[in-house]
Amino acid sequence: MRDGGNKVYRNVCPRNCYDTCSMLSYVQNGKLEKVEGDPLQGYTQGRLCTKGYAYPEYVYSPDRLRYPLYQYPRGSGHWERISWDQALEKIAGKMIELNRRYGSNLSLAYNKYSGNIGLLHYAIEGMFNSLGAHTKPFGDACLAAGKDALHYDLGKALSPDPESMAQAGLIMIWGANPAWTAVHQLDFIKQARDSGAKLVVIDPLFTPIAAKADLFIQIRPGTDGLLALTLARMMIERKQYDRKFAENHLFGWEPFLSYLQDKISINETSEVTGVSLQAMEKLASLYASHRPCAHWAGFGIQRSSNGGQNVRSISALAAITGNLGQKGGGMFYLHPSEDLFPRNLLKYARPLADGKKDREADINNFAERLLFFDKPPVRFLWIASRNPLSQDQDLNKWQELLRTLELVVTVDLFMTKTAQMSDLVLPAASHFEEVDLNISYWHHWLALNEKAIPSYYEAKSDLEIARMLTRRLKEISPGFSNFPDELTAEDWLAKEFTSQVYTAYGLTSWQELKDGPHKLRAKTPWLDRKFRTCGGKFELYSNEAKKDNLPALPRFSWPQTKGDYPLRLITPQNPYRIHSQYNALTWLSGEYDNVLQINPKDAAQRELAEGDWVRVYNAEGEIIKKVQLSNSVPPGVVVAFQGGDNPVNILIARTAADMGMKMSGSRNAAFYDTYVDCVQGRR
Amino acid sequence: MLKQMGFIFDADCCVGCKTCETACKNENKTQPGISWRRVTQVADHKYLSVSCNHCDSPECFRVCPERAYTKRRDGIVLIDPNLCNGCMDCVGACPYTAPKFDIISHKASKCTFCLPRQQMGLEAACVSACPTGALQMYNFKQAYPKGTVAKIEGFPDIRLTRPSIRFFPSKTRERYFLEER
Ligand code: SF4
Ligand code: SF4
Ligand code: SF4
Repeated sequence: MRDGGNKVYRNVCPRNCYDTCSMLSYVQNGKLEKVEGDPLQGYTQGRLCTKGYAYPEYVYSPDRLRYPLYQYPRGSGHWERISWDQALEKIAGKMIELNRRYGSNLSLAYNKYSGNIGLLHYAIEGMFNSLGAHTKPFGDACLAAGKDALHYDLGKALSPDPESMAQAGLIMIWGANPAWTAVHQLDFIKQARDSGAKLVVIDPLFTPIAAKADLFIQIRPGTDGLLALTLARMMIERKQYDRKFAENHLFGWEPFLSYLQDKISINETSEVTGVSLQAMEKLASLYASHRPCAHWAGFGIQRSSNGGQNVRSISALAAITGNLGQKGGGMFYLHPSEDLFPRNLLKYARPLADGKKDREADINNFAERLLFFDKPPVRFLWIASRNPLSQDQDLNKWQELLRTLELVVTVDLFMTKTAQMSDLVLPAASHFEEVDLNISYWHHWLALNEKAIPSYYEAKSDLEIARMLTRRLKEISPGFSNFPDELTAEDWLAKEFTSQVYTAYGLTSWQELKDGPHKLRAKTPWLDRKFRTCGGKFELYSNEAKKDNLPALPRFSWPQTKGDYPLRLITPQNPYRIHSQYNALTWLSGEYDNVLQINPKDAAQRELAEGDWVRVYNAEGEIIKKVQLSNSVPPGVVVAFQGGDNPVNILIARTAADMGMKMSGSRNAAFYDTYVDCVQGRR
Repeated sequence: MLKQMGFIFDADCCVGCKTCETACKNENKTQPGISWRRVTQVADHKYLSVSCNHCDSPECFRVCPERAYTKRRDGIVLIDPNLCNGCMDCVGACPYTAPKFDIISHKASKCTFCLPRQQMGLEAACVSACPTGALQMYNFKQAYPKGTVAKIEGFPDIRLTRPSIRFFPSKTRERYFLEER
């Protein structure tokens, strides 16, 4: 496309965010002049978020990595610019040396996740698969508990099209703050409210979206499930549940009823959750009078040791009230559209001759697992699309792991905490500098990401790097890899378009995406009331859960014990970052980077005033933050945002949510089960 | 004057996301640190997004010794950077701190109401980017939109310059906080 003196390209923000915005990039003489939202994408509707509009600064940020860099000794800050040839030589040389030393590639490991969720970034997985048996991560660091919860209930975690929320009569948000993390959802919420819908927000924190709600209920962290079960009990007692649905489509109605009758009492719930009887009454009456209800379970409510149960409890409530399969209503969590795609790079097959098995390390517990492996030990680590030294739990183990590694290679756009502790850092392309395909886990749009500008200095995409390194490996040691390094990004892209994908998105050729994004042709899930469980019913009582040593019914149990520290630490996103990304920009405010939000009462007890330096600590370690007094945070809770120079994750011990094994093979970290204390500190 | 262009700000919708602020930088390429539009939090999750208000009696225009400011027939107030001598009088005079001083170019600059976009039939960048519809452009030669007020919490005195901005105030909401709060 052209627009005046500009060339206009289609791009997609790939930053692991609900919205996965489609953008138009205006390019003049090879320079990205500005970005706009793509009006043809119906969820983002021609708008970006604050981070999206900052891309012109991001791409040309003076802090962006330009060349391959080599650091000796590791962590010293003595960086030396080297050529790509030298970098590939060092990497390939080490890989082959380790292969010869140990007789396999098992001492080679990678850790890659969601820094860029474009489909072609699976090139890293593909490159390692092609080496034969190696050491790789598995599991889901974010959403595993909630996914399992919905799997037990529904047979598959499917969410309705989030645009359909515009038709809701009630929108009930549990522990999500779309005002910061999914701004384009706000328009659909507004549409619903303009036609009379009400918005309810239930959250331990008084967030910006909570401030807009018709009804905000503050709740003690980790007790959402109990409130949902209590609301279910109230609906049943008042005969405001869906009797026909219960008779025909629910499995386990009887045991569920007796559980509610025996174990759930409104008074006790009020004590545990901190929600007053009056607030519950108000909630129950809104819930009964406004239909259909869109229940949105945020990712935060499953980041605790009873996280999966929280999600199951909310989904049980949605089911018994007949809200599933109602247009505008239902249970919103995530939609796994990516499953439709073959993901050829992710699944690229290993050489047949190699009879050995891969070693798999739980991504939620990666450093410890790697340290545990022996014969051979892991000696080489490749990190891409990740910043574990800021974002993982159990960071002390990472330090231990680093000491045992002979070569650490990090691919990134910026000198992250992880890059700082690597031997080699390779400059990654921004999404404007590569071809890719993007699928959201929330909205239903599919969009092509075109190459809009030449590479920034010597930056390269994960796929280009995989191809170059493979070529070098094959030159030194023919047959070392079976990765088809001759295939281009377009070749891989074309392979993703199976006839199933074409039909699902109403496409006849993938090139049509150059004219605009396409939407999945999906019916509202569960419209036919045929659930994907064994018996075809919604399972209040799940035999599968029972088999997995979990309660068959959604149950409330107290989050893990408090340990020795009085303040529960919550570490959400801030509006100007995604996890640890976007740090270096002047266009985006850094106001939340280094603060500890604390209730004035807790602060007064510790003689802390606004702006004081504070030492936040527990048995894992300590960090220094700046006090921000906040009435949005209840007493007993403190908030520190992710990322920054002084990552809060140093305080997060090895934890696990209750679910995740079923679909992801591993339980995600229970980040919000962390307790700390704080005292006056000094910078 | 034919028109008096300005903004409507809906405090009940604004979530303080600063998309408007960043969209202005993306469009107008202001220097690092220069924000023609700024979002501030005036109370717990009560926000204000303000740029130049293209006032009816612009102080900037009155105080500028170089006559760098003009008030157009559509009400838009512009500064001509070629005439600006960097004295900063306007920066001090504007009650809303709309003119920004750029230490590199040594000149003041401010919101242009995105004139070039409007000439192409587009909304101002901040207005078109706002995800909640909290910002609208409005011609104040028309009757004020129903429900708007002249001033809300956190907005400076309007008597001096008569800014071209009106507000939808925040509604009161039902909230249940934890008792220990
Ligand atoms: S973009 Fe809109 S909602 Fe966000 S801060 Fe600006 S005016 Fe408020
Ligand atoms: S807001 Fe300030 S700069 Fe803008 S017209 Fe009014 S006085 Fe002048
Ligand atoms: S109208 Fe244009 S120049 Fe003025 S604040 Fe909005 S985006 Fe910036």
